[in-house]
Amino acid sequence: MSGITASQTNLEMCFTQNPHFPRKKWLNDFRLQQFKQFLHAGFPARKDELWKYTEIKENLIPEKMGILCEPLYSEKFSAATAISNIVFVFINGHFAEKLSNTQALPPQVTLCMISQALETHEDKIKPYLLREFDVKRFPFAKLNAGMMTNGMFLEIPKNITVTTPIHLLFINTKQHEFMTNPRNIIIAGQHSNVTIIEDHFAENAQHYFTNAVTDIHAAENARVNYYKIQDDHLSATHIANVLVEQKQDSCVKTVFLSKGARLEREDLSIWQQERGAETDMHGLYVLRHDQQHVDHHVHVDHLAANGTSSMLYKGILEKKSHAVFNGKVYVHPATKQINAHQANHNLLLSTEAEVNSKPELEIYAEDVKCTHGATIGQLDNESLFYLLSRGIEKNEAHKILTRAFAEEIYNKIEDTVIRQYMQKRMSDHD
Amino acid sequence: MLQIKNLHASIQDEKQKTKCILRGINLQINPGEVHAIMGPNGSGKSTFANILAGREEYQVTEGSALLDNQDLFALEPEQRAAAGLFLAFQYPVEIPGVNNMYFLKAAVNSIRKQRQLPPLDAMDFLTLVKTKMKEVNMDEKFLSRAVNEGFSGGEKKRNEVLQMLMLEPRLAILDETDSGLDVDALQAVAKGVNSLRNPQRSFIVVTHYQRLLNYIIPDRVHVMVRGQIIKSGGKELALEIEEKGYGWLEKEAQA
Repeated sequence: MSGITASQTNLEMCFTQNPHFPRKKWLNDFRLQQFKQFLHAGFPARKDELWKYTEIKENLIPEKMGILCEPLYSEKFSAATAISNIVFVFINGHFAEKLSNTQALPPQVTLCMISQALETHEDKIKPYLLREFDVKRFPFAKLNAGMMTNGMFLEIPKNITVTTPIHLLFINTKQHEFMTNPRNIIIAGQHSNVTIIEDHFAENAQHYFTNAVTDIHAAENARVNYYKIQDDHLSATHIANVLVEQKQDSCVKTVFLSKGARLEREDLSIWQQERGAETDMHGLYVLRHDQQHVDHHVHVDHLAANGTSSMLYKGILEKKSHAVFNGKVYVHPATKQINAHQANHNLLLSTEAEVNSKPELEIYAEDVKCTHGATIGQLDNESLFYLLSRGIEKNEAHKILTRAFAEEIYNKIEDTVIRQYMQKRMSDHD
Repeated sequence: MLQIKNLHASIQDEKQKTKCILRGINLQINPGEVHAIMGPNGSGKSTFANILAGREEYQVTEGSALLDNQDLFALEPEQRAAAGLFLAFQYPVEIPGVNNMYFLKAAVNSIRKQRQLPPLDAMDFLTLVKTKMKEVNMDEKFLSRAVNEGFSGGEKKRNEVLQMLMLEPRLAILDETDSGLDVDALQAVAKGVNSLRNPQRSFIVVTHYQRLLNYIIPDRVHVMVRGQIIKSGGKELALEIEEKGYGWLEKEAQA
């Protein structure tokens, strides 16, 4: 990229609004360096295979960062804060202590803001914050490293089971055209067990730009359930990287639900670094509006033997919406007995909707079992006729079959309360 | 109740060639009557049943069908159901993700709505469905399963009859409901049908074999060959076919 563009100026303006961490020169220096590296590399172009179908236009970058304010105490807000006794709330990218509640947390567990962890757990958090992202593969994680202001730091010591789900709530409210760069770090110790919900929504906020990074580290035999719902305003841009590192015999289960935003790009990257790891990845995107664009890139690196991974993403598209799915399973040499499955199924409810689906396998080892597949289609005519012939009206029959298509993904959320909450949020029309 | 005159219908095959399947069916069914339609494979029996229910793939090219003096072909499939028509499918569809009880309740209440009746509440519905399940020897566990998913052949057919009992149609069409059934399931199906028989309700039983007709005694038997009814008679015609096959009828028709 050459010359200074308006978006660069906007980014620079946002960057200067970042909080300066006193006595943390290493962090301030690192951020500046990462930020410059991003600017130098520039925005990813569509000729780059990873960005073939999704263009992040530079003019989407607003010129200011989000500011903390009182939220709107809406119905959505009350419903969201009611599902768990552990809730960690961010308003426009800033921690809202008053609205958060961590009393149900076992005392051994550390749950705090990153800015706080910098004071109390500096040595622990430092290597995570200094993580270098490859600017080609993770351009926006690189940008996040440069821009990040705050986020959640969660550490579960070994053998601890957190029975209450941890609800991480990102509310964008009462402000327009602003940027947030949340950074979450989750460290699940050996034989620990935790469920995390990452929840993004808007109340009277438009044209904002979220660039989130969530870092998950699952130690030996840890079990992590991670559920994310993206319910941003239909004018918003939502970019996120969820990066998962798994050690021996750990098990990570993810469910990604996408409903809002004008443009979403979601990168889920898994590294199975030690033998016997298990990863279950599910996703559902329901796009009901013209010009909505959602892109899920899911990448699994099998670096060790006896790993299993399964990926199932489903999409329901209406009007002139556009979805992209790219699933990649990479089985590295010197691994063996890998079991990997990936599938992507799409239901197109309008003739103008579009899907680009690309399941990929790259296998450089023997003794592996891998499958992949993708479908794009309409509602099944046989099923539809069956319902109609029983007197069920056309609209209702469509609804029943569409819901049935999505059900498989919702059922992956084991906790009933969370499942019902998310299902309701996804089906609410707004 | 049902009057069919000179019905012709065709289907487009894979090569978009029009294939004529029904070539002038005439049939009159009065209230309370059971009519059996028999015939060899490919004679058009199933097509006939599906056209009456409103399956889209077929085109009616000529003729008419009146159900209680309403033009069936002017109605959508769901309106035909509300008008009292019911088709028990030869191959009931499996619908993963749709709960069987939810489906039954949606069907019952949708028809009630179209007939301007108040919906059944959850309790009344449950009581009703449990009673009907007993009649077809169906375990209540099938209520919480997905519609027909993983059901055996016999369970699927029982589920069809259960739907029929719940919807209480004016005219029920059973499309080879006996195929692939063991004697127990066959008797359960027949029991369900016989329990619905009354002077106002009529049935069309489409079948290959006369076996089912030992349990559901028809008033009239029609033989369909190459899209036409070539012979009609009483229940003794079915026995004659069982003994001699269809060959003699085809020859007789050509003569």
